[in-house]
Amino acid sequence: MKKNQTAFRIAGKVAFWILVVFIFFYMLFPFYWAVNSSLKSEAQLQMTPATFLPVDSSGKLAPTLRNYVAIFNDGTFVRALWNSTIVAGLTTLLALSVGSFAAFAMGKLRFKGKKATLYLILSLTMFPQITVLSGLYAVITTLNLGARLSLILSYMIFTLPFTTWVLTAFFKELPAEIMQSAWVDGATPFQTFYMILLPLTAPAMVTSGLLAFIAAWNEYIFALTFTTIAPQARTIPVAISLFTGTIARQVPFGEIMAGAVVVTVPVVIMVFIFQKRIVEGLTAGAVKG
Amino acid sequence: MAKKESKLSLAQKEQRTAYKLLIPALIILAAVAFYPLFEVFYTSFTDRVFASGTDDAPDFIGIENYKSLLGLTIQQLPPIIDPNTGDPVIDSQTGRQTYERPVRVLPRTPVRYREWFQFSFLGKRYVVGARDPEFMKAIWNTLVFTFVSVFLETVLGLGVALVVNSHFKGKGVMRATMLVPWAVITVVSARIWEWMLQPTRAGLFNMVLSRLGLGDGSLSFLSMPNLQMPTLIAVDVWKTTPFMALLILAGLQLIPKELYEAGRVDGAGRLRQFLSITLPLLKPTLAVALIFRTLDALRAFDVFQVLMGNRMYSMASYNYYQLIGNRNMGLASAIGVIIFIFIAVFAVIYMRLMGVDKE
Repeated sequence: MKKNQTAFRIAGKVAFWILVVFIFFYMLFPFYWAVNSSLKSEAQLQMTPATFLPVDSSGKLAPTLRNYVAIFNDGTFVRALWNSTIVAGLTTLLALSVGSFAAFAMGKLRFKGKKATLYLILSLTMFPQITVLSGLYAVITTLNLGARLSLILSYMIFTLPFTTWVLTAFFKELPAEIMQSAWVDGATPFQTFYMILLPLTAPAMVTSGLLAFIAAWNEYIFALTFTTIAPQARTIPVAISLFTGTIARQVPFGEIMAGAVVVTVPVVIMVFIFQKRIVEGLTAGAVKG
Repeated sequence: MAKKESKLSLAQKEQRTAYKLLIPALIILAAVAFYPLFEVFYTSFTDRVFASGTDDAPDFIGIENYKSLLGLTIQQLPPIIDPNTGDPVIDSQTGRQTYERPVRVLPRTPVRYREWFQFSFLGKRYVVGARDPEFMKAIWNTLVFTFVSVFLETVLGLGVALVVNSHFKGKGVMRATMLVPWAVITVVSARIWEWMLQPTRAGLFNMVLSRLGLGDGSLSFLSMPNLQMPTLIAVDVWKTTPFMALLILAGLQLIPKELYEAGRVDGAGRLRQFLSITLPLLKPTLAVALIFRTLDALRAFDVFQVLMGNRMYSMASYNYYQLIGNRNMGLASAIGVIIFIFIAVFAVIYMRLMGVDKE
């Protein structure tokens, strides 16, 4: 009887670990495959059957950095990397600064129409940005801001409601006494905001800022649409989706995979460093929202 | 008295500061969300052409755009009768009765209807014609994509979350691993999968499948009609299951441990604990996660655009195609409005069903 039970337990444990290993491989394998392919030469890529390591036809390990050299020598990719960094970075800054103003008002100040404003922001976090694609295109052509500025402005549609919402929740939880004592000392509400509350919100800023950055870094449909006539402003997702390589031939998957690795690694490192904050932010945006 | 006055002005001051702080956010949102939304509604009733090069004001054409997107007709297909015998003609290869070709049955004037699909009902054959079968297919594709992928992501996400929520060595590594697919840009993940799905044995899937003796090593996942949708769903499930798992994990951690201890004391097994404690307490989390994912999947664009291009559309990628490919701004705006209505309807249904709005 007892023996049976331990056997049962061991079987359960083995099954559990098989599951863990399976999930691990499932999550990582496509990325591994991208790394593997990025280290292969054109000939190695066309070898059939495909190999799990960058080997040559005799089976010897022969990784090459040719694809990485090619994409960095190719102006398109570097420019796209630069565009994406600028666009995502400035989007984050703008969404955080404007969002923290609004969030302070909604989290800590009393004013008429507060509830309506809160609902408005909440409903905007679910706003389907694809709906306004054609309308927004009309707006940005009228404003004539240039493609990158237009992208930054249009990315406010999904980053600003989110940062505002997360930061509002954070401001609400800060004890009112901090503010009151500042007011007693004669500080104006605005001084209270940027001298006392803003430093306290740094953790929430990092969290919502990271998520805003990743969302902007990821965005495709606006970037694709609004850079149709401005190829020099293309961001990473657009560049990678339209990648044709330097030499005219088949789709250069080696270079695309190298590009995929280059743009993914920094984000993955960032995500690992701020793992806890990101999970907090995601769940604050969804579970509590 | 004087004290009261200064208090009042303090409250007024506070209110004024609040409005000042809100103004930048509201101006930006008005420019990028509210005004474009209004513009889209308005333009959807016109025949505006994008970058037409002429200064002609677009004409107001009422609901013509909506009619040309959603117009449907059902026609009966008469069986083909052999003129000599008077009997219906039977296809010698399939052994089935043959019917008139839909092109000859569907109306052409004043507007042309094209075949969407055929069906049999009570022994008669019908054809459903649409003024824009591509858009009808796009709606259908988007709905199938949404239902199946969100369902799979929820089930798999729940499984992953339960695994990661239990205590074992390497839990931290697993939680970090889960963030990798989420951190990969959607377009990039689509291209990685495109490469893995190559229709030769240079592609991972064909290589593995042919080793297992399945397929001939040249399955073209992206162009065979019966493989396209499963492929799109597989790509989306890989990318988004981690997000589901993370949300569910957060929900799991909110459940007090004491409940499980109490359950164990009462002799409830693992399964019973899961059904009576975990699932009911997880309901709010699941509801919110489902809403988020469904609304997201309904506007799916990246995966469709990168993997399918013009071979297959989602509602969003059809919108893009009409706007940029055909420069038909009026029609594209009408599609935008239709997507908006779809998403609003789903949001309301979900909130009612799950009781989220009762909070």
